[in-house]
Amino acid sequence: MYAIEVEKLRKEFKSYSSRSGLAGAFRDLFTRNYKIVRAVDDISFTVKQGEMVGYIGENGAGKSTTIKMLTGILTPTSGRVVVNGMNPHKERERFVQTIGVVFGQRSQLWWDIAVQESFRLLKKVYRVSDQAYNEHMDHVIETLDIGPLLDKPVRKLSLGQRMRCELAAALIHNPPLLFLDEPTIGLDVLVKLKIRQFLKEINEKYNTTILLTTHDMTDIEALCERVIMLDEGKIIYDGSLQHLKQNWGEGRQIHFQFRDMVSKEELTSLVPVTWEQGEDRYNWIAHVLTHDMAHVIGKIVSSYELKDIHIREVSTEEIISNIYEEGIHHG
Amino acid sequence: MFYISIFLQYMSQYIKTKLQYRTDLFVEFLSDLMFQGVNLIFILVVFGHTQFLNGWTRDEIIFIYGFFLVPFALFASFFNIWDFNERYIVRGEMDRVLTRPVHSLFQIVLERMELESLLGGITGLIVMGYAASRLHLTFHWYDVILFVLFVLGGTFVYAGIFISLASISFWSDARSSIMPMMYNIGNYGRYPVDIYNRVIRYILTWILPFAFVGVYPAAYFLRKTEWYTYSFLTPVMGVICFTLSLLLWNAGVKRYRGAGN
Repeated sequence: MYAIEVEKLRKEFKSYSSRSGLAGAFRDLFTRNYKIVRAVDDISFTVKQGEMVGYIGENGAGKSTTIKMLTGILTPTSGRVVVNGMNPHKERERFVQTIGVVFGQRSQLWWDIAVQESFRLLKKVYRVSDQAYNEHMDHVIETLDIGPLLDKPVRKLSLGQRMRCELAAALIHNPPLLFLDEPTIGLDVLVKLKIRQFLKEINEKYNTTILLTTHDMTDIEALCERVIMLDEGKIIYDGSLQHLKQNWGEGRQIHFQFRDMVSKEELTSLVPVTWEQGEDRYNWIAHVLTHDMAHVIGKIVSSYELKDIHIREVSTEEIISNIYEEGIHHG
Repeated sequence: MFYISIFLQYMSQYIKTKLQYRTDLFVEFLSDLMFQGVNLIFILVVFGHTQFLNGWTRDEIIFIYGFFLVPFALFASFFNIWDFNERYIVRGEMDRVLTRPVHSLFQIVLERMELESLLGGITGLIVMGYAASRLHLTFHWYDVILFVLFVLGGTFVYAGIFISLASISFWSDARSSIMPMMYNIGNYGRYPVDIYNRVIRYILTWILPFAFVGVYPAAYFLRKTEWYTYSFLTPVMGVICFTLSLLLWNAGVKRYRGAGN
């Protein structure tokens, strides 16, 4: 059984563009120029129980809109959504009992009251029994290390502390499916690591399905085997991160620092690959394929005197931005 | 049952939070009392010179005003969602509300409740007591039940109108500036409707039925038999208004567009 099934899902927003000038404003009063914007354009995918999927795309690509349809906040314009065997917006109140949601930029907790009071309210709202709560939350609180924060009001917490509490709050009813929208935005490395560690743990322990949107590719690399990439409301890639890297990030960059000045022509005639100048004419960067690496280094080392050399893998971040610039086709 | 226990939980949380800010609570209490006092003085001044207003005596009008304060206090404590558009739609708080397994309107009522407004109800009871003693009104035991019914009816009329107005935010992005105007119109309900012209009277009875919050139900306790039909319609109007507003709300939630991040 799938945790998420989406078929030809579409969401259109009607927006109107205002005319310029005072006369235009008066005309707007009577007739408006409506424009239909398709935020999510006939996307289809499925997610199995226990999968961790990264949902990525640029700002405005339709990530949040999809998540909001999957969580029952927005009603789709057309298409089929089945999440945890239910139609999110039709059976909203029963459905949300089975999901956890964290919006990184929006707090789920009550601003003025202590964290544990928020937890207590949510426990009531989700109808969690004392026994289930204690069993599950003791562990969550311990792993996220938020025990000392419980009696502080949310407004006094730092962003990192708050985020950990948010995560705990989303798990009070131990949902089988967790939606995380930018959960690590603005957090420092240590907190990020802790949160990732925690997500892995609950995924292993409870087989929790996790759908994650983020701009931080290291999150995706650390957590997700599968990524779904979105551009202008359409899915442009759906598959393993490994595969994406192999197709797109096959190359390496080798940075040579020469003892003497060299010219591009010299280098190109010796080794016909793409050469790019570094900060000066002592520094050159070769873009090569992985299996050519040894050959290129061998040739250069035998012909020139070198001061330094280092090899860099193309980061996922660069791969993604390349894809957005060039389109997926050539991969 | 579940909803009642949630309600109590929120309420105890609310009181706990309020008690944390003691000075705030004190100032609020004081300013509420002063507000009520000013209102009362206003009424006394306005009706001080005229003993009769279209057949209504000064004390009767004060009684109506006192009655009006009770459902209004209940409304202000629980359904005062005038800033719904600003707070929930523009700022996108509605997203959070919709991811919880409780009816969205109920959650908002819980989050926005202001129990200190209940004070106005006590003022209302005092005002009514004062007027009643001057009018030498007598009450039966079942009048208590009717009083509760009429107050609830009035509260739901008020709530229904304001929930409907809040629901408009689901369709239109524009900030609704009708809210303050509505508060003004709402105040007309606390004067005898037969002092207005027919159109206004019709509106206050059937379109924006604010008359059911003040004059109609109060007329029963003033033993104005010619108004009894309207008096007894109060709970019915409450149920109708509230139901309609709920339907409108639910339809609105489906239209909710969310706020961009």
